[in-house]
Amino acid sequence: MRFFDSHVHMVSRTTDDYQRMAAAGVTAIIEPSFWQGQPRTEVGTFKDYFNSLIGFERFRASQFGIQHYCTIGLNPKEANNEKLAEAVLELMPLYICKEGVVGIGEIGFDDQTKAEEKYLIKQAELALEADLPIQIHTPHRDKKKGTIRTMDVLEDVGIDPRKVIIDHNNEETVKEVLDRGYWSAFTIYPHTKLGNERMVELMLEYGAEQIVVDSAADWGISDPLAVPKTAALMKDRGISLEKIEQVTYHNPLAAYGQSGQVSEKDWDGSEGIDPSALFEGNTLLRGGMDVDTAMSQYLIE
Amino acid sequence: MRDTLIDTIAASANPDAVSWLRETISGLSENFEKRPFYYAFSGVSRRFDKAATIHSPENPLIDGWDEYRAARVALLLVLAEQDKEVFLETFFAVLNTADIREQIALFSALRWMPHQEDLIEPAVDGLRSNIVDIYDAIALDNPFPQQHFTDEAWNQMVLKAIFISRPLYRIAGIAERKNQLLAEAISDLAHERWAAGRAITPEAWRSCIGFLDDRIAGDIRKMAQSENSDDRSAAALVVSEDSSGVLEDLRGALQPELESIESGSLTWHTLGKTMEEKLVRKSLT
Repeated sequence: MRFFDSHVHMVSRTTDDYQRMAAAGVTAIIEPSFWQGQPRTEVGTFKDYFNSLIGFERFRASQFGIQHYCTIGLNPKEANNEKLAEAVLELMPLYICKEGVVGIGEIGFDDQTKAEEKYLIKQAELALEADLPIQIHTPHRDKKKGTIRTMDVLEDVGIDPRKVIIDHNNEETVKEVLDRGYWSAFTIYPHTKLGNERMVELMLEYGAEQIVVDSAADWGISDPLAVPKTAALMKDRGISLEKIEQVTYHNPLAAYGQSGQVSEKDWDGSEGIDPSALFEGNTLLRGGMDVDTAMSQYLIE
Repeated sequence: MRDTLIDTIAASANPDAVSWLRETISGLSENFEKRPFYYAFSGVSRRFDKAATIHSPENPLIDGWDEYRAARVALLLVLAEQDKEVFLETFFAVLNTADIREQIALFSALRWMPHQEDLIEPAVDGLRSNIVDIYDAIALDNPFPQQHFTDEAWNQMVLKAIFISRPLYRIAGIAERKNQLLAEAISDLAHERWAAGRAITPEAWRSCIGFLDDRIAGDIRKMAQSENSDDRSAAALVVSEDSSGVLEDLRGALQPELESIESGSLTWHTLGKTMEEKLVRKSLT
């Protein structure tokens, strides 16, 4: 079984994470452009950040047999620094058509300010121009209103909901997102977002259509194995393998595959992992990691 | 060159991709704008196949290029026709944000670019990359370093080629741009390698011809006695080209190799090819 984690910030993660992800069957990942904890003050740091997403981080992932893709965008927090925001918008056309860039993202609202709306619109127009999917970050505060407002703004620009993945959904936002035709992504992130038992309940209620599960692991307390762990829990709770594969692999592939920049052919030949090792044994994903499995593949010379 | 390149791509690539390329190039030729150029240059990856190569035996410079590289160089040849300011601004904007395959295309195009004096520094900087394909795009089969590099930059390039086991015979100007400092650095490197129980590529000694002081002549004597036939071939090639006469005494021991040189079956080119084939075999096993 193979997993596609469509939201994970690997620049903040270590090689140990890559080893464990590869061993747990994570075959492909998408790294959205985001805030880095420390606000940036110069456009040049954005350029180097984007360069690392299409360059070194992709290379680093490949060392562990993981296919790395990215989305390029100006995050809503930094959209409030308008001088910087303008300069980043000037820079983005150099990146958005590159190989392995599967969308504009993650963009959306944070404080839901005027400036955030302005750059959401500008970036949605850019996605339209380059015919790319959009990866939406929904706000932590006042989430429901922010999510609805995001969809309203995108529809005003003329964006097709099928080309938009709305992330960080919860029980309060999912229904309208699905009803309006968007992909609904759920981030399994300890404490602040969604635990995976809630995710199982959501699956039981809403099924697997248009649903995506990701980790959004970053520089905070988060879990780069959230997707395989959630898959294991789903299996335990009796959700069919077919549905598990749909939300952890096929759906993100279909959603971002609309960019023409990611396809299963990119990782042909990779075997994935034995699902029985994942779901029925209790070594790999319950009590932590079978370190031998990970380490045996990465001999240090 | 642009037409040759496009025709060669057209012979094997997807027809839709080729018509897109032709239309894009004619559009940019009539009215060049930066943003459409950026979209086209990076968007090559949406239309062509990076695993497919183009074939042009009569044009060894482009023969075997992958489609991404070929299509991007064709686009750069339109950029090359723009006025200096637009050319340099666009070239650097693209280079400074380029992924690996884009960098390969940019460096492969250097020979056909205008204002080459402004492109020397980025080429020297590009060689600092640890990504072999980028290094190769600058150093191998490319006349640009020979024409523009200072001795200092040239020597660094050749030494790095030896370090990372690149085929020296494919460096344009390798026979012409040898110099005293390079010869000494190669000898130093050989001694370091020998101290560590390792070898140095026999191709390296080519850059020492004409600089056979006692120490380097001693190195060549050592090679003449090597158990490795490629080392003896290199020693014989040095002897056959040396005009100082300090190695004349080796002619007896190297007679079989010197006969091969006489008959034309052993040259720096054949030796280089042999070494390169061994490299390929080694990397596949």
